[in-house]
Amino acid sequence: MKMNRKRVGKIFTIIILLAISCIYIIPILMMVLGSFKTQGEALHMDLGLPEHLQFGNYQHVIETGGILRGYTNSLIITVAAVAIIIIFGSMTGIVISRRGDRKGRGLYYYFVFGLTATMQIVTTYALILKMNLYGTYISVILVLAAINLPFAVITFSSYVKGIPREIDEAAIMDGCTAFQLIFQVLLPIMKPITITNLIIAAIGIWNNFQVPLYLMSSSERTTIPMMIFNFYGLYSRDWNYVFAALVITVLPVVILYLCLQKYIVEGMTAGAVKG
Amino acid sequence: MIFINKKQLSKIYPIWLGLPAGLVYTIFFIVPIVTALFYSFTDWNMDRFDSPKFVGMRNIMNLFQDEVFLRSVWNTVLFAFSTTILKTVVGLLLALLVVQKFRGNSIFRTLFYLPCVLSCMIVGLLFTGILKQDGLINNFLLALGREDLVRDWLGSYGTAMFWIIIIEVWMWAGFTMFLFISGLQAIPREYYESAQIDGASSWMQFRKITLPLLAPSFTVVVTFNITGGLKVFDLVYSLTGGGPGFDTQVLSTYTYRAFGMGLLGKSSASALILSVFIVAVTFALNKFLRSKEVDV
Repeated sequence: MKMNRKRVGKIFTIIILLAISCIYIIPILMMVLGSFKTQGEALHMDLGLPEHLQFGNYQHVIETGGILRGYTNSLIITVAAVAIIIIFGSMTGIVISRRGDRKGRGLYYYFVFGLTATMQIVTTYALILKMNLYGTYISVILVLAAINLPFAVITFSSYVKGIPREIDEAAIMDGCTAFQLIFQVLLPIMKPITITNLIIAAIGIWNNFQVPLYLMSSSERTTIPMMIFNFYGLYSRDWNYVFAALVITVLPVVILYLCLQKYIVEGMTAGAVKG
Repeated sequence: MIFINKKQLSKIYPIWLGLPAGLVYTIFFIVPIVTALFYSFTDWNMDRFDSPKFVGMRNIMNLFQDEVFLRSVWNTVLFAFSTTILKTVVGLLLALLVVQKFRGNSIFRTLFYLPCVLSCMIVGLLFTGILKQDGLINNFLLALGREDLVRDWLGSYGTAMFWIIIIEVWMWAGFTMFLFISGLQAIPREYYESAQIDGASSWMQFRKITLPLLAPSFTVVVTFNITGGLKVFDLVYSLTGGGPGFDTQVLSTYTYRAFGMGLLGKSSASALILSVFIVAVTFALNKFLRSKEVDV
């Protein structure tokens, strides 16, 4: 009798979950189906199957939409900014924590300020304009790196506290330089926090729309969300193309998510808890 | 091992190793904040880019007399608070459902979390297709024979704001769910076992054990979602662009609009007000929620 009740409860749970799942699946399904329809079929939004699979939509989008260009741009910007965040962030975090003196603490609180303050996008724009960097990769890379650095510095700094100093001492005795100590000895030990930072920064930067909008909105060098937005502006009547463009943009992210799910979820959760 | 005196410390961990990060952060994050503090009090626009004129509190006074601005403040607050409440409730509900042991529960977790890794821009465009005049929802209503309910969902204030809030919840409820899952898993099983022996109902267990012990998760969830909600930009920009009219304008889109018109002084003043607002709300909330944690 008791077992039975438990069983009923379980089935009930699964039914509710399946119902909720529909809310998540339907928009995605509509997008995928729509991307294979003709313009007329796609304009009438529904979950009907396309008469014939229009692979041509994808060809058209890839040829005219600059999607590949957007990908390259996003990749350049994300990789460069993440590299700056991890390399500079770990260096600073380690030095701050290991020194533990007034200079170190001062620097620590200077970065803590960055966690609570919000970016001032308008004066950032003016600064970039003044520096003659408007519309360049480097401007977006440095601004996005600057936004993410405080979190990286603070998390690296608190993580390194848990690593025994004896490791440093042994490394120094063996004749390590400061750089070797940081990048060849400590960073490999700090893998978990490095992965967390890597994921938070990469996802945030890849999806960021506001910074490219202010700093390189119509440029050839702009990122994928901006490219898609501009593409939509040109093709807002051709939903078959819009859907195809969305699928192309979403697909690699979804595949990456499914492969690295454990790390992504843990990383983003840790980010919220510590941030 | 004896080398931990001050001189050697500085030699092994020279402070200049913090210089690259310090420089990038100072130039591209701190300098704009400091200059915004000044430029918010100037008449500064694209025509007068190099010679802003100091006007004192005028930008800020003007903003608070601007109806569109006041509307944006209201919308921002409405958005931040209602999405936080909904994300907390829905996230907790999802967490309680998927934390139960049955085969395939990880599939649901994966699915509910999926929108979190997508760009808001993509999600915005996707839902434009669902909500527009000849979109999915209206077609569905027509199929049900409810023509009376068909409308341009993003075309009027009430429904537009409603849908922006719902879509934000759709995107981030899964994230909240995971924050709660880790909180739920940290509650010792024995508490429930002894409660069951005492004959406590499931609802009693939930109220007396689960909710109080989840207090730290609530702090994280609420603070994270409120600050995120106050900063909202992408979703509003891609779904309505602040329209119809200026109805769904939030502070970030208001800032962008002033920026687009070349009114840099007004724009930085509006961005600054948002920042001050965020800091104030975060501190107040943190204080309030932490005090709750100690109580239980």
